[in-house]
Amino acid sequence: MADRYSFSLTTFSPSGKLVQIEYALNAVNQGVTSLGIKAANGIVLATEKKSSSPLIDSSSSSKISLITPNIGMVYSGMGPDYRVLVDKARKVSHTGYKRIYNEYPPTRILVQDVARVMQEATQSGGVRPYGVSLLVAGYDEGIEPEEAKKEGAAGEEGGMEVDEEQKKKKSGKTGGILKGGPSLYQVDPSGSYFPWKATAIGKSATSAKTFLEKRYTEGLELEDAVHIALLTLKETIEGEMNGDTVEIGIVGPPADHLLGYEGVEGAQGPRFRTLSPSEIEDYLTNL
Amino acid sequence: MDTLVARYTHPAFESEGYSSADDQQAAQDLAPPSLSLNFALPPIASTASWLRAMTDDHSNPNCPIKIAHGTTTLAFRFKGGIIVATDSRATAGNWIASQTVKKVIEINSHLLGTMAGGAADCQYWLAYLGMQCRLHELRHKRRISVAAASKILANLVYSYKGMGLSMGTMCAGVTPTEGPALYYIDSDGTRLSGNLFCVGSGQTFAYGVLDAEYSYDMEDEVALELGRRSILAATHRDAYSGGFINLYHVKEEGWLLGNEAHEGRVLKRLGEAGGDVWSSVACAMDQHQHRERMG
Amino acid sequence: MSNPFSINGGACVAMAGKNCVAIACDLRLGLQALTVSNNFPKIFPYGSSTYLGLTGLATDVSTVSELFRYKVNMYRLREERDISPQTFAHLVSSSLYEKRFGPWFVGPVVAGINEKSGEPFICGYVYSSSQDVYVKLTCLANDSFDSIGCIDYAKDFIVSGTASDQLFGTCEGLWEPDLEPEDLFETISQALLNAVDRDALSGWGAHVYVIEKDKVTKRLLKGRQD
Repeated sequence: MADRYSFSLTTFSPSGKLVQIEYALNAVNQGVTSLGIKAANGIVLATEKKSSSPLIDSSSSSKISLITPNIGMVYSGMGPDYRVLVDKARKVSHTGYKRIYNEYPPTRILVQDVARVMQEATQSGGVRPYGVSLLVAGYDEGIEPEEAKKEGAAGEEGGMEVDEEQKKKKSGKTGGILKGGPSLYQVDPSGSYFPWKATAIGKSATSAKTFLEKRYTEGLELEDAVHIALLTLKETIEGEMNGDTVEIGIVGPPADHLLGYEGVEGAQGPRFRTLSPSEIEDYLTNL
Repeated sequence: MDTLVARYTHPAFESEGYSSADDQQAAQDLAPPSLSLNFALPPIASTASWLRAMTDDHSNPNCPIKIAHGTTTLAFRFKGGIIVATDSRATAGNWIASQTVKKVIEINSHLLGTMAGGAADCQYWLAYLGMQCRLHELRHKRRISVAAASKILANLVYSYKGMGLSMGTMCAGVTPTEGPALYYIDSDGTRLSGNLFCVGSGQTFAYGVLDAEYSYDMEDEVALELGRRSILAATHRDAYSGGFINLYHVKEEGWLLGNEAHEGRVLKRLGEAGGDVWSSVACAMDQHQHRERMG
Repeated sequence: MSNPFSINGGACVAMAGKNCVAIACDLRLGLQALTVSNNFPKIFPYGSSTYLGLTGLATDVSTVSELFRYKVNMYRLREERDISPQTFAHLVSSSLYEKRFGPWFVGPVVAGINEKSGEPFICGYVYSSSQDVYVKLTCLANDSFDSIGCIDYAKDFIVSGTASDQLFGTCEGLWEPDLEPEDLFETISQALLNAVDRDALSGWGAHVYVIEKDKVTKRLLKGRQD
């Protein structure tokens, strides 16, 4: 019966489902587990790097990708689909944003753009949905929560100004992009996206999330988050855990050493970077 | 053939005023240099078309010589004599070169000329006209008629026709023979007599007010006010007119400066009709809510 | 006088002060010599402290100001925040370059204060020639030059419009560093009024905005009406 409604993506089943999207989710749920944890001062993305053969040169493949200097991405599901999405995300962040505003898109804008790409694949003819879920981690320059509070207080003191002077209206919105700092999103094949403090996708997502619920605390430091990420991964990983089988990406303080030059005032290195196998080994030994 | 023609013919202007023989005589006498009408001409075939190419900013906005010619001038006859009114702005392109130009030229105690078009052309040839009028007076022992004076100017500019002179002038005067007389002369050679003229880039605006309100039987005060308001309208709407209003009243006993000019060399600064219109410094600190269209 | 930049006339100037910026424009709208309106402001707000001044062809001034209204509203809806002057300056730049081969005949001026850093910001757009170098050498600043997006950052002042030569003069003469808001207001007002009084195509009153970190003061200046 279900087959009758599965040949065309644009056809709902009588129960209101688009079954191809559910099948895409199934593909994700068979994929290798990935997880993300947001800390107070950054984010960690982690995944297992599985090799089907010991002959694979794992050092020259990676699953965690940089999209903009401050935004990185990891996936669970189909690798080839992911690569297409990484390409599109990188492209759209330039054509749709940097070429217009001469700055990189904030995390949520990028997430929306990628989600739009994924949604379009659920409503167009001749295509199939992307068989991946994504975790997108980014850091936004903006008013951080503590700063926002101070601003508000200052604004009220100034409320008695002469009426000739127009008071500037502070945006009532406190959430969203006005708030700077780290943010972590999950994007699904349907094109829906969710902000998380910590989450996991892929084969062992359920158990990993249960583990994260226990381990996650508010105000976590980035170092602790990396630690928790590795512990979570350890629960689900099948083979040996080392610098070659685990991949970690972090969003942290600006990595000025990656800038390639120095001495330029105001120049900031990328906040997103992947950890080298030796860095991962260091974390693993301290586990 | 051309060279033969060139040798034995001369344009009219070359024989205007002093003859070349007079000039040689003057040089021999070592007399102080006199007002010469022999202008240096650029060493090219066609001076007229060359000058046009250099100065015609209608056909070529980048022409190297910008002749100042934004103006509003007006004059009208009425029972009490003639009112002459002008603005005082001189522009070169969009640049306001001066706001304090005297566009009324006092040829003598009973004769006024107005300037519109090339400032230098007007100034020079009206001064020349003043000289001719004085010579006429000395020769004939009576003042020249306005008709004759305007004719001297008209003939003069006609002899330079096509050479690029740019003038639109009015001659206004009162003589015992003619009474109040008003003539319009321009560099095309046109010479018209009439009751009412407006000349310059702001002429249409001045005509608008003047035609609507004009009557020959006005009282002096009404006529002066009308002249002032006509110029005011033109300075308001015409970008190339502005500055101050210069007002003259020509009567049988000679011309008088309009009342405002008596109060101080400079007339009151302009503003919108009917009120204290403006000051140059900040005022009116209007509070203004910026309505954001969104949110 | 078929240069689209000087058909309608108009002038705009922005100045930076100490923790404040000011932007001012005249109010004339003309058709060559004829003054059609003396209430045609050329400054538009795009957020609580981002302002854009536009001089040049009046139809483009209206259209471009509305185009940016649309773009900035879309930005605000998408991003739930006001656009910063710097970001807006780049939006203007890319939007101008989009019309590289059929430009808008406008001379934009951006002024504002960065909400986050509190830094004053002003910029204009360099007039570029799409013609050859010979044309460049023989023409006046905006005679056959269009503003197509090259940003001109300044720490002092930016001028634009038919009175730009005069404004350069008055601004060079009057501006000094670190002016307080009230002094900045006086400086920009005098710079604008005295410049437009020497330009036949600008004037007829002025608007002045003084932008501080959390307040904006708009004043209307009366000017010569001739």
